[in-house]
Amino acid sequence: MRHLLPATSQPLPNSQPHLLPKQKNIFEKSWKPTTSASEIRQLLYFLSDVGRSILKYFTMVKRGRGTVGESQIIDLQVLQDRIRRQPESHKDEFLGQYQHYQSLKEILNLNPSGFGETEQFMKQINLIAHVCVVYPSETKDFADDLGEMLVNHHTAIAVELREKMVQSLVQLTNRQVITEERLIQILFPLLPTTNSKVFRKDIYTTLVRLLKNANKNTRAPKLNKSVQTLLFTLLESSDGPAAAPDGLWAAKLTRELWRRSIWDDARSVEIMKIAALHGNTKVSIAGVNFFLGEDRDREKALRKKRGLDSDDSSDGMSSDDEDGAVPNVGEIKHKVGVNKKTGKRARKLENAVKVLKKKEETKGLEAHLNFSAIHLLHDPQGFAERLFSQTLSRSSGNKYTLEQRIQILNLVSRLIGVHKLSVLGVYSYLLKYLTPKQRDVTQFMACAAQASHDLVPPDALSPVIRKIADEFVSDGVAPEVAAAGINTIREILTRNPLAIDQDLLQDLTQYHKSKAKSVMMAARSLIRLYRDVAPEMLARKDLDKISAMEMSANARAGIENKKLQYGVENVVEGIPGLELLEQWRKEQGLDVAEPGEDGKIVSKDDGDDAAWNVKDADDEEEGWINVESDKEYEVSDAEGDDDKDSDDEAQDDDDDDVDSDVEENAQVKERATEEPEAKRAKLDPMQSLMATRILTPADFQKLEELRQKAGIDKILHGSKSSTMTRHQDTVDANSLIGTRSTRADKDERMDTVMEGRKDREFGSKKGKKLDSKPHSTTNKEKARKKNFIMMIHTRDIQGKNRKSLRDKQKSLKANIEKQKKYNVKH
Amino acid sequence: MSKITVAGVRGTVQELLDYSENTKKRNFLETVELQVGLKNYDTQRDKRFSGTVKLPAVPRPNMTICVFGDAHDVDRAKHIGVDAMSVEDLKKLNKNKKLIKKLAKKYNAFIASEVLIKQVPRLLGPQLSKAGKFPTPVSHSDDLYGKITEVRSTIKFQLKKVLCLAVAVGNVGMEEDQLVTNIMIASNFLVSLLKKNWQNVGSLTIKSTMGPSYRIY
Repeated sequence: MRHLLPATSQPLPNSQPHLLPKQKNIFEKSWKPTTSASEIRQLLYFLSDVGRSILKYFTMVKRGRGTVGESQIIDLQVLQDRIRRQPESHKDEFLGQYQHYQSLKEILNLNPSGFGETEQFMKQINLIAHVCVVYPSETKDFADDLGEMLVNHHTAIAVELREKMVQSLVQLTNRQVITEERLIQILFPLLPTTNSKVFRKDIYTTLVRLLKNANKNTRAPKLNKSVQTLLFTLLESSDGPAAAPDGLWAAKLTRELWRRSIWDDARSVEIMKIAALHGNTKVSIAGVNFFLGEDRDREKALRKKRGLDSDDSSDGMSSDDEDGAVPNVGEIKHKVGVNKKTGKRARKLENAVKVLKKKEETKGLEAHLNFSAIHLLHDPQGFAERLFSQTLSRSSGNKYTLEQRIQILNLVSRLIGVHKLSVLGVYSYLLKYLTPKQRDVTQFMACAAQASHDLVPPDALSPVIRKIADEFVSDGVAPEVAAAGINTIREILTRNPLAIDQDLLQDLTQYHKSKAKSVMMAARSLIRLYRDVAPEMLARKDLDKISAMEMSANARAGIENKKLQYGVENVVEGIPGLELLEQWRKEQGLDVAEPGEDGKIVSKDDGDDAAWNVKDADDEEEGWINVESDKEYEVSDAEGDDDKDSDDEAQDDDDDDVDSDVEENAQVKERATEEPEAKRAKLDPMQSLMATRILTPADFQKLEELRQKAGIDKILHGSKSSTMTRHQDTVDANSLIGTRSTRADKDERMDTVMEGRKDREFGSKKGKKLDSKPHSTTNKEKARKKNFIMMIHTRDIQGKNRKSLRDKQKSLKANIEKQKKYNVKH
Repeated sequence: MSKITVAGVRGTVQELLDYSENTKKRNFLETVELQVGLKNYDTQRDKRFSGTVKLPAVPRPNMTICVFGDAHDVDRAKHIGVDAMSVEDLKKLNKNKKLIKKLAKKYNAFIASEVLIKQVPRLLGPQLSKAGKFPTPVSHSDDLYGKITEVRSTIKFQLKKVLCLAVAVGNVGMEEDQLVTNIMIASNFLVSLLKKNWQNVGSLTIKSTMGPSYRIY
């Protein structure tokens, strides 16, 4: 029975000899002969096991590779294996190991840097981590011990041991011995304190993976919340210019999890908000950058994921169906049309369409509910104000470099624009930087544009515009500068058209006659903007036909032109072009007569929802979709005629009642004056259609068509909402510079070269003389065109190869001389 | 629910009215609101929409309104019987955040005379626009009473942080027909705002303040 001991009785460190007798006692006690049948059975089983392990040991020795360490590994593995199978009978053995582990732990705690038993200790840890589920009560301190050792000695102990400890801790978490929160509590403080890059990366990936796995199938709100709380406290406790690393890691982790869409709630945004307001420059810039770049990050990650996903699905398909691997519907459809029609091919097409539809659906699911971080912010006003006053005001001094200040300003201005905040200090702050000589001035200009919206009082914004106009737009400046100035002004005015007075506007529009293309285009775009929003502010000659006619018609009718007013929000009012639809319906004889028919259409359309979704996805599928939608129209038209007539009439009556009721009500209410009544009458036709029918997808399509025909969309620039709501949240600094004259490409350059060569003659006189008349090939030509392979062994070529170096030099020199002479002559 | 019909809406409205009139009559005027759930709406790619539409019948007659005005407008407001504040009153608030917040809470909407409105951000700070109650301008030539009814009968759709929104479209004291008309105008307008019209609509529900909700789409 003694031979069992190699697993446990390794040479123990001399420093603690008192442990040896204790261990012996355990074994003697445990292997006292017993009489119970079950014990004997266990013993027998055990003996057979032991025999197997001895065999293994000897084979190892025979191979000549069996070292002591290896045998120990095997023994510990065997033990682990056995413990798993029969935990009860191996308990004492395990306890022995555990005791040994504990003694080693003591040694490590006493002298971590001089710890010599690393390998042995690692194995012990491995064993205990694997089997501690079986003996929960005995090993309840194990995880805490590991954590403690890691936290206290992670700088001193060997790298492998450190890795092993982290690994074991993760293992323990996977087996639910310790909670994820506990693990994070142990690991996270190590991130900033350790100075080993490898270890840091290790911990970081471990943390990310842990959170990713926890959120894989369903969200783990509890874990997320506790981790977020931890990050909060880390950020808040470390506030101060000196303590950066903690906060930096918190920000980094949050950004990573946001990028992977593992966290997408307001709480994580709040963490980054605190980071952005952090006293340390690095942390605050990390926070600011998160808000500026997170959308792009996430988009990129999503696209990458989608790419991989599609690969996966195609791989999966290819294993069971080689044709449907890539659901290229167009191709399959073509094949179906060309080849013999079989059920199999039809099925293939069907499957492909199904796969495609499913894909599209999941795509939509993934895409939706992605609010960007800026939108999820709680109290943006407070955030913007604090960010501005803390970082950009004079008191913060030169803590931030210009680049960083631009980044912060960019975020502040974006916040202002998106949430329509009023931080009036920004505009005067910007004034200082808006000169053409300022470095990165386009960035500042973009910020100025972003920070303007319709609720900014015009008197706050007009100095900015005045300054830009004075500094950038004058006759003396370079065209790029003027273009950038006008473009910026246009961007600001798109958002707040009241910020300019008529004189300045008309001054600026005169640049549309500029010779520089970029300036001319910029001025034109400004004119176009004001034709939409406030034509009365333009000079008469700058008006286009539609707005001029509208204005004069209004003047004739005595109606005052709709004037821009501060405080009137630029939102869509009513459905533009609805009266057109109504008129069209009247002309078609549809009138308001058959509302029921549309219900029919709706139901039709809903069935093909997915098909509609596909419509705007890829070009190749478009053909297929078009056919579908055409068909659908026929169906809806056909059914509209004969269906539901009785229903229609009943409803029709109802609707008429509603109409008259509405009018009556309106009249009752409008007792005050006559003006509103006129207005009401004007409104009515539009509202009648809205009030009596549910507009169906088909209606909306027709509406779109009619609007296009009537040229309303020309005013609206092809979008449903007006220009004023169309502007983007962000302004790209590069787009402000306008079109630059780009360098001509090779073809264009060659064209000009050829043009210059037109009247010149090239080539020798002799050659031209020969060319002018028909002639046979000369010997020289023949020699030149002869195949090189045929010439390779001739004396001419071989001789050149075999020339001595001196001869080669000579001929080279001669050649150069000849060239020089030729150049001088010509 | 794959489609929405006028008859269907009418039926639901009848049910709704029946519940709050007969089954469980409350001691106050219940408001009817239209709740909308959106789908397939990418908040990053599609511009988040906002729009206003004027309903024929005033959905919330009890809406409290305050007028910020110069002497002329204050007089007119008093004549009509609407609360009014002059510049001096506003200056008395002294940019005190709490007081302004209180003011913003007290009223449902604000109207300011044209000359005054430009000063509002400076006088009152960001609090009003934060609460979404930035005043509507009114000029001397406008009819103040008409303006007030207009403000009262205008509803606003605005998408915030979540993909659902709700607007008050009427109250249970209204006629059935009026309610149906309001609901139809509101839903038609909403759908016209959406990029893919009906394809973006997940659900439409109407609900009175204390009653159960009824799905109409």
